[in-house]
Amino acid sequence: MTKYIVKRVLLSLVTLWLLVTIVFLMSWALPSDPARAILGPFADEKLVEDFRETFGLNDGFLEQYFRLLKGLVTFDFGLSYGTKKPVWDVLAPTLWRTAKLATLAMIITTPISIFAGLVAAKFRDRRLDRGIVLTGLATSSIPEFVTGTLLAVVFGVKLGWFKAVAIIPEGTPPLEQLNYLFLPAMALAIVYFGYIARMMRAGTIQAMDSDYTRTAAMKGLSSSQVMRKHVLRNALAPTITVMSVQIGYLVSGIVGVEVVFNYPGFSQALLIAVKQKDLPVLQVAVIISALVYMVATLTADLIIAWLNPRIRLEMGN
Amino acid sequence: MELDDVNSETAIEPAMQSSSMMIDATPNVLEQSLAERKQARKERWRLLRRRPGFLIGAIIVIFWAFCAAFAEKIVPYNPFDDRDKRHMPPSSDHWFGTDQTGRDVFSRVLTGARDILLVAPIAAILAVIMGTLLGMIMGYFRGWTDNILSRFVEAFLALPVVLVGLYVLTLASQSDMLQTISFNSRNILVIYVVAVLFTPIVARTVRAAVQGERDLDYVVSARLRGESSMFIMTREIFPNVTGPIIVELTVRIGYAIFTVATLSFLGVGIQPPSPDWGLAISDERAVLAAGIWWPVTFNALAIITLVVAVNLIADSIQAVYQK
Repeated sequence: MTKYIVKRVLLSLVTLWLLVTIVFLMSWALPSDPARAILGPFADEKLVEDFRETFGLNDGFLEQYFRLLKGLVTFDFGLSYGTKKPVWDVLAPTLWRTAKLATLAMIITTPISIFAGLVAAKFRDRRLDRGIVLTGLATSSIPEFVTGTLLAVVFGVKLGWFKAVAIIPEGTPPLEQLNYLFLPAMALAIVYFGYIARMMRAGTIQAMDSDYTRTAAMKGLSSSQVMRKHVLRNALAPTITVMSVQIGYLVSGIVGVEVVFNYPGFSQALLIAVKQKDLPVLQVAVIISALVYMVATLTADLIIAWLNPRIRLEMGN
Repeated sequence: MELDDVNSETAIEPAMQSSSMMIDATPNVLEQSLAERKQARKERWRLLRRRPGFLIGAIIVIFWAFCAAFAEKIVPYNPFDDRDKRHMPPSSDHWFGTDQTGRDVFSRVLTGARDILLVAPIAAILAVIMGTLLGMIMGYFRGWTDNILSRFVEAFLALPVVLVGLYVLTLASQSDMLQTISFNSRNILVIYVVAVLFTPIVARTVRAAVQGERDLDYVVSARLRGESSMFIMTREIFPNVTGPIIVELTVRIGYAIFTVATLSFLGVGIQPPSPDWGLAISDERAVLAAGIWWPVTFNALAIITLVVAVNLIADSIQAVYQK
């Protein structure tokens, strides 16, 4: 198991290095002159030169590349073009708020989706199953910002049950914060419901049809015991994989939702960066979210290996 | 079951063609295998037509494609004309009301299908072509080629599409290089970005499908016959992995619509004055709180009907191919 973990972590580091290199190369493949783009075509040549000097744009290819790689360890990614503050200081506070929203969405969607998947598998090919599968297909194919917008229209504006704008005033007690966070979290939860429920359904059906489940039932275990000890345990593996991938996509999907509800998270920093052509902030944002995806999938793989002794032993060799 | 039969039959077909000793039975075997393949195709089409999800999805997609093609001929107003009557609620004159500059929302929603139905499918098709090439090479050669390419694919898969879209489109909009090669059309840029970001996902699927084929007897015999790798990949393996590729294409079109709509909503995708749906939602959502719900809601419904329809089709095709 240790060997497996070490191997996976090392491979992830290689992937991370490649990914950072790809992102870095993108800015060289599309050569641009940020100083001119930001200061305008009529700016004084002296100003432009100062800008390039401040942000290290006069440095060579390798110098800039190694500076970015070093930043991954030191969290020093240089200065943001727009705010002139360190990139990490611009992004860090917003990341925390985004993590809060993402966690709430996962807490809402996980139990509901797993339960719905189990129910669908149990009533396979009946009307209830069809309903759950179709709902999942529909909700997961609609972009998050559309779901969020409709939730805001119906529950925020028309019915007024929750806040349609998720700007939380300073000093709001945690429970009252839910009032602001509920609709954006629901928008995300609805989209991820489909993916998780479908995978849980498929995993459960596969486990229910297997020989070991039949054996367990025939040796006289009660159906709840069969479900708990044999079916659930095996059905969870693919579900965990899908959930980890969804956590990765959550970072992307959350951008649209945050914008809809004016939530001051990650995406607000991103949209400002787009307007100001603040490439360092965007670059680091891409790398951070890729990192989140990689950590999530790696964790999922390890959990699955730990859950399943067969994989655990196989991978050790 | 049927698919397996078809696979083993088609294996004979090229083998016979290249054999120097033609025996009398050859034309019959050939004809038989072709006929069986046609039969399988017919059977799949029959199964597809019987699925309500496919029919509903197809009707909706055809409706939007029709709007995209003939919008000028059917809309009641010019979708780009500003009028004095701003933010008028839905009425018999303006079925979906008017927007912030008094444009007719109904006309704009119908015309709004155009850009996204061009950009998203073209991006998906490009991604499937590039991904198929890459996936075939990875699956066929294995070893070091596959190992190295797989690392790249994995790195790309970790990149969140929307964020990279924001980054690259911002980068490209100020790049001198792109401006000089007459790259003023933003849509082409969006197509390229989405296509490149989707390519590794397609490659992974195709790679898996090719790996399932490459050790089967028909491939081994082609190799023993001394056929080139190129020939084996294009003429032997490719015809047998078209199923997963077609499924991947329909699924990718759905995701491409999803992605392009999101990028447009965030302001880096399709640009004004296009009546694009994502763009319209982004422009009009500020007035939601004032109770002006119609511009946002009708555009949102347009996106929903299109993506759900495409996904219903993709889902049905997947189900039929997996039977």
